[in-house]
Amino acid sequence: MRPLLEIKNLHVRFRVFEGELKVLNGVDMVIDEGEKVGLVGETGCGKTTTVKSVLRVLPTPPARISAGEIIYRGKDILKMKPGEIQSLRRGEISAIFQDPLTALNPVFTVGHQLYDVVKYSSKDRDGKYLSREGIRARSIAVLKETGMPDSERILSNYPVQLSGGMRQRICISEALSVAARLLMADEPTTSLDVTIQDQVLRLLAKLVEEKNISIILITHTLGIVRELTDRVYVMYAGNIVETAKTEELFNNPLHPYTRGLMSAIPKLTGEGIAKGIKGRIPNYLNPPAGCRFHPRCEHKMSICSKERPSFFTTGDNHRVACFLYQR
Amino acid sequence: MGKYIVLRLLQTLFVLFGLSILIFFIARVVPGDPARVALGSLATKEQVQELREEMHLDKPLFVQYYFWFRSILRGDLGKSLYTRRPVTTDLKEFMPATLELMLFSFFMSLIIGQVMGVLAGYFGNSWFDNLFRVLSYIGIATPAFAMAIFSLLIFSYVLNFAPAVGRLSLGVRSPHQITGFFILDSLITGQFSIAWKALRHVLLPAASLAVANIAQEGRITRSSIVENLQKDYITAHIVYGIPTRSIIFKYLLKPSLIPTVSIMGLDFACLIANAFLVEVVFMWPGFSRYGVTAMLNKDLNAIVAVVLVIGVAYSVVNVIVDIVVSFLDPRIRLQKGGG
Amino acid sequence: MSKKEVLIAALSRGRYSFSKGWYKFSRNPLSVLGLIIIFLVILAAVLAPYITPYPEQAGPFTNFREASLPPSLTHLSGTDSMGRDIFTRVIFGYRFSLMLAVVVLGLSIPPGVILGLIAGYYQRTWIEIAIMRVTDVFLSVPPLVLALAITVMLSPNLFNQMIAISFMWWTWYCRLVYTMTTSLCQEDFVHEAELTGAGKAHILLREILPNCIAPILTKMTLDMGLVIIVGASLSFIGLGVQPPKPGLGTMVADGAKRLPAEWWTAIFPALAIVIIILAFNLAGDGLRDMFAVEEV
Repeated sequence: MRPLLEIKNLHVRFRVFEGELKVLNGVDMVIDEGEKVGLVGETGCGKTTTVKSVLRVLPTPPARISAGEIIYRGKDILKMKPGEIQSLRRGEISAIFQDPLTALNPVFTVGHQLYDVVKYSSKDRDGKYLSREGIRARSIAVLKETGMPDSERILSNYPVQLSGGMRQRICISEALSVAARLLMADEPTTSLDVTIQDQVLRLLAKLVEEKNISIILITHTLGIVRELTDRVYVMYAGNIVETAKTEELFNNPLHPYTRGLMSAIPKLTGEGIAKGIKGRIPNYLNPPAGCRFHPRCEHKMSICSKERPSFFTTGDNHRVACFLYQR
Repeated sequence: MGKYIVLRLLQTLFVLFGLSILIFFIARVVPGDPARVALGSLATKEQVQELREEMHLDKPLFVQYYFWFRSILRGDLGKSLYTRRPVTTDLKEFMPATLELMLFSFFMSLIIGQVMGVLAGYFGNSWFDNLFRVLSYIGIATPAFAMAIFSLLIFSYVLNFAPAVGRLSLGVRSPHQITGFFILDSLITGQFSIAWKALRHVLLPAASLAVANIAQEGRITRSSIVENLQKDYITAHIVYGIPTRSIIFKYLLKPSLIPTVSIMGLDFACLIANAFLVEVVFMWPGFSRYGVTAMLNKDLNAIVAVVLVIGVAYSVVNVIVDIVVSFLDPRIRLQKGGG
Repeated sequence: MSKKEVLIAALSRGRYSFSKGWYKFSRNPLSVLGLIIIFLVILAAVLAPYITPYPEQAGPFTNFREASLPPSLTHLSGTDSMGRDIFTRVIFGYRFSLMLAVVVLGLSIPPGVILGLIAGYYQRTWIEIAIMRVTDVFLSVPPLVLALAITVMLSPNLFNQMIAISFMWWTWYCRLVYTMTTSLCQEDFVHEAELTGAGKAHILLREILPNCIAPILTKMTLDMGLVIIVGASLSFIGLGVQPPKPGLGTMVADGAKRLPAEWWTAIFPALAIVIIILAFNLAGDGLRDMFAVEEV
């Protein structure tokens, strides 16, 4: 069965005053239908850029996709015409962003924005949109699904009048109206209170199960990933460094970076302060040659600074981009 | 919302009251004898004394203010020492000319300025944008009277594109006065050739006034659009499939106009002040030129009346702008009103 | 650390942030151009008697044989109706404009800032109400109008012009600083200063004021241009620098009567005004960029 989404060797560069930032350095990801995938990495490692590339909303004057393919259901998104991409956005793929306050237009009511999203995604085969009542009904329905109390009254409010959790639910409704197959959730709970975080995550999990949508859950919190995903991709400085089934990754992390991340989680059993990973994320203007992690790696070998490692497979579909595991 | 308006109006009234005191006392502090100045050096002492008593100039300042304030409330702004007519008559005669000029200028700056600003912002860093930015710098740096001089020279004398002086050329009869707006009046009475001539006459003065505003407002719109284009919600709108047309003209435009609207109100009110200079250069018989003449002639009543009218207009416009802005940006409304 | 070491540390920190600020400023070539023009104009104005071709023609002077000559090699901007070299008079005219701007801002900024600080700090007291209501009154008319009205009441000359404009210019700074102070007073560092028993003067001057410096400086630079515009407008009407003194606005007024035949009498002074204001605006924009906090 062909995968739903396949990102192959994606390279993205950003033009800045001093030169070019080589943000994505050959990202490879595969998502199957109905799969729940986690994408983990530090802030600034390129997760959001990857998401934006899939939906082709990278700001293309400073950014450019210099190489790679993004194959969705057999067709390369990067080669699609604007009309095709627009229909993807309106019916198949969507995203939820980190900060719901900035993701909503402050001078329009949330209802206005949601109605528009529902309207444009409701174009049927004859090219006609739903009627006003139809749009309203569908908006309220999708809002109710997200567990929003008092949906009708909420719609006439402005984003600034709602709490963080409610705003995120609006965004989720918007995304759900258009995402029939793939949802990319970019750190959806980072800017919310801890209690709301839990609610929103459970909501996402429930909706994804019910509608059989694939989801890419992006986060820098390992705990979330462990609970909610089937497979995890670990990203560092514009590369995927390791991927495995969730359980397998947590039981048997292979890449030195992943191991560093795992050991950095504070343990409630009180085994002392976590060690952390020495060094800092690289400068994207002049990134390290070869494996981008090698300056911080305790096990680095001479080949690591010369060649970029490709994936080496061990065990059950457990792949690591590290020369340590080269056969 | 209603509470907010009432509060602002009360505030405005208070400020206008303060303004009236300020300008009144400034006017009365003039060295020299206003009655003497009005009558000229040939007048006799008795005539001067008579005028002084008539104007209550012999009484203490506070009493003078009281008399003056009382007559204001009755709608009597006093007599102009220069034209010898009630000031209100003078105002009624000259106001429409200046209003016509201001309205024309305002619409020019609205249409040209905003369109250019939006285009420059949306196509940031294109040749159009760079050209716009250079031109707007120059536009802001040119005072209105300099603009008037430049345009007079280039468009009127060199290119002979538009006439130089007055509202209508000599020998052309002014249309029957209904609103006082020459263009409207002549359109209403069907004298299209006069309307066209009046239009050509108002073009250069209105443009001279408008240039600085086009430059300033256009720049603000431009930078507002550039800033908002990068906002997350625009990305979100694109992601959720909203068509580009909708995004530009609705979701981008509304938040971007907010900073501009405040300035537009301020600029419109400042048009009254800048009209002073342009009216002088183009010999436009307007309220502001009347004001300048009054000041140069130390025509007390007229000066006080002119400043007060300007103050009222300015304050009213500011209140309107505040209301419009709070309507456009719900965040302001919600933070001020309820809570 | 000894007092000397503290001072050196502060100075070197200051030098570092200055060079960083200069780097940001110089990124925009236009702003640097503005700064250069300002510098050149100031230099020219200060050295006017030494560098102009006909310094004696800057005041009362007549030479009807050379009157109304178009621009040429001997008279770069031509001569006016009295035979005076316009180029020379324009350079001298810059003296008046710059002096006006410096004096007005020097007179109006300190009281405006102090009153703004006080009004912003003592919120909800009669002090605030009194100061801000007075400010509102002054700000209720466009600046040119009030300046006109006041100048008219005194006899028209440069000195009175300065007084008139300063008389109401302070209100802009009062309002600016007031707005900043009221929002800064919510910040924690002010509360901390109060709790540790700092005197009011210390809080206002050493804690709050440094945070306001950036917008004050930016506005000050832009105001230099604005004040020159107001001054030139007043002179244009006849209420500023009086002939035969070479005020820029006065010269434009004189030239306006002679359009279009002797266009140089009006155009060159007008151009001179535009150039200096443009320069201040460019530099002011550069300052704004310099103080802008960069987004990560």
